[in-house]
Amino acid sequence: MADFIRNPVVRLPDPDPEPHFSSDELNFTSDEKDRISAWVRQYPTSDGAVMWTLWLAQEKFGFLPPEVLQLVATELGLPYAQVYGVATFYTQYYKEKKGAFVLDVCTCFSCQFTGGYDILAYLEEKLKVKRGHTSPCGRFTVQEAECLGACGSAPMMQVNNGPYAHHLTPEKIDTLIQAMETGQPLPFVSITLPQDEDEMGDNRRSDADAIESYQTPPQSKRTQ
Amino acid sequence: MTKAGDWKSYQRVLLPPVKNLHHLNIYRDQGGYEALRRVLSEKSPQDVIGEMKRSGLRGRGGAGFPTGLKWSFMPPVDPDKPRYLCCNADESEPGTFKDRQLMEYNPHLLFEGILIACYAMSMRACYLYVRGEYASWITLMEQELSKAYEAKLVGENMMGTQQHMDIIIHKGAGAYICGEETSLMESLEGKRAYPRIKPPFPAQSGIWGAPTTINNVETLACAPLIMERGGGWFAGIGAEKNPGPLLYGISGHVNRPGVYEYPTGMLITDLLEIAGGMRGGKKLKALVPGGASVPVLRADMIDGVTMDIESLKESGSMLGTAGMLFLDEDTDMVAFLRRVARFYHHESCGQCTPCREGTGWMENLITRIDDGEGNLRDLDLLLDLCDQMEGRTVCALADAAAWPVRNTINRFRDDFERRCRPSSWAVNA
Ligand SMILES: Cc1cc2nc3c(=O)[nH]c(=O)nc-3n(C[C@H](O)[C@H](O)[C@H](O)COP(=O)(O)O)c2cc1C
Ligand code: SF4
Ligand code: FES
Repeated sequence: MADFIRNPVVRLPDPDPEPHFSSDELNFTSDEKDRISAWVRQYPTSDGAVMWTLWLAQEKFGFLPPEVLQLVATELGLPYAQVYGVATFYTQYYKEKKGAFVLDVCTCFSCQFTGGYDILAYLEEKLKVKRGHTSPCGRFTVQEAECLGACGSAPMMQVNNGPYAHHLTPEKIDTLIQAMETGQPLPFVSITLPQDEDEMGDNRRSDADAIESYQTPPQSKRTQ
Repeated sequence: MTKAGDWKSYQRVLLPPVKNLHHLNIYRDQGGYEALRRVLSEKSPQDVIGEMKRSGLRGRGGAGFPTGLKWSFMPPVDPDKPRYLCCNADESEPGTFKDRQLMEYNPHLLFEGILIACYAMSMRACYLYVRGEYASWITLMEQELSKAYEAKLVGENMMGTQQHMDIIIHKGAGAYICGEETSLMESLEGKRAYPRIKPPFPAQSGIWGAPTTINNVETLACAPLIMERGGGWFAGIGAEKNPGPLLYGISGHVNRPGVYEYPTGMLITDLLEIAGGMRGGKKLKALVPGGASVPVLRADMIDGVTMDIESLKESGSMLGTAGMLFLDEDTDMVAFLRRVARFYHHESCGQCTPCREGTGWMENLITRIDDGEGNLRDLDLLLDLCDQMEGRTVCALADAAAWPVRNTINRFRDDFERRCRPSSWAVNA
């Protein structure tokens, strides 16, 4: 029993971690504070705004270490434990530092059978990184994601919780990675509905950055 | 009236072929927001609910609950108590991508539907809960929503009436379970999204304890159409017992995947033909008709089956979200099930033991079989595990995990047995 207590099976988080940000950095600008209070006004209590505020904090700091969660808690007047609880529940909130580009490759079933795992393996090899980790250069994090709601244009991935890249092939990955390395923003791609293609000949949105059609999905070699 | 059989002449209504329909001015040129105007000036909330009941619309979020009936469950108005609508745009069911396309191409139809629903149930606010991954679509919708606010179609004194309704977009952060209605409410309240025990049902006690109704994106988008053309028109489209237009999200090994709008009750074989048939001329092996949670169908089970709640139930599956995944003859069903089990293990919120532990053991056992180290009796263990999980948890995620496991094993037993080692000792030894 005593052994058990001395060596807990479950590793608890460090109760007093080294902060990543100095207290000078840890504040919201007045502009950000305005945005936060606008969110707070949309809900009966300030609790509702916690998810939007965590998104804002993640955009600003890149990830959410305890001191940033404390900042959010103070700003909203909520207990730290509640903010910590929310931040750790959702996968899109990063609790540790990630690369400058986070690539979420969907490997859920539609993507699985149309090459999601091939794409994942290609990325692992190209960027010399294992899934779930950040590349040695610190620029790319490659992750496996659950269905991202674009199964018709599988295999696909999401970059930095933002734009989707559809119909992935190794060649397309090469171009995308190069674009990221040279700092070009990824476009918002609108996928043309098959019925629109037949009836209207084109995508119905004329303001999309880029347009693709749904296309015959490839065959996958790997399924895991 | 369009019956499913006349699909070739079907005219789309949820996504009509109009260029740039997502722009407010074009949507209004097409008669958009007229249904809302007429509802606000001519109809009482009871009339709206009556019309919804007449339409026979059943929820498109997966459970297929009659929408008019759901709306009538709201308690009488208490002026001191707020009431809320939630629009469920969390769409995380694997194989489902229809709501995203609707939000991309016809967001104002959704906004109009939300406002009609708010009027019918005397609500002043709707939270539109969009999954965090749809960040781009949130930005697109925010632009259009602010235009609707400027045009005074939403907000204070909307459309020159005394009404005041708000639409508030809430961004999730990546958790499948937030699609479950009580979990969605917890998430909106800024908590960990643990589903609640029902009763009390959301209509009695929802977000912040206030009466709440939750509807799917596609369900709400049907409301303006019903108000414009009447419940009788809607009830005449497609299958008799669950009528209306339906967005079919077709993915997998077909030549032309994508979101298609057709009446409910389409023959699965017709839909396969519409989607260009199987890729590379291969044969169909399996079909998941409505997202990962519904039982998979073997190719020989789909003849004459139509995409509506009744027909699919008879054939041993469910309509779910109508996100259809077609799989060809080369598909490894063990790998398929392994990935499905992984999904549920990852997405279980961990609140109930049968689900938290059960989904984990499911994944472990199927992984062992997939790696060639499973024993035949593992299959029975898995089926037993399904029995232990079903109906013993707070929400339906555990059931949704058990159904595909049970049915994939039962319907593709050979595939599994071939991968297992025969049990070399008696089970009770
Ligand atoms: C585990 C689980 C996940 C769900 N996910 C979704 C979802 O992503 N989108 C959705 O609209 N409904 C989802 N539902 C169904 C909702 O709980 C609810 O029934 C639905 O939103 C009601 O809307 P409707 O009546 O318009 O169909 C889910 C249910 C469960 C049990
Ligand atoms: S069934 Fe699973 S997901 Fe649902 S409340 Fe229980 S543990 Fe959470
Ligand atoms: S399975 Fe990959 S987007 Fe749905």
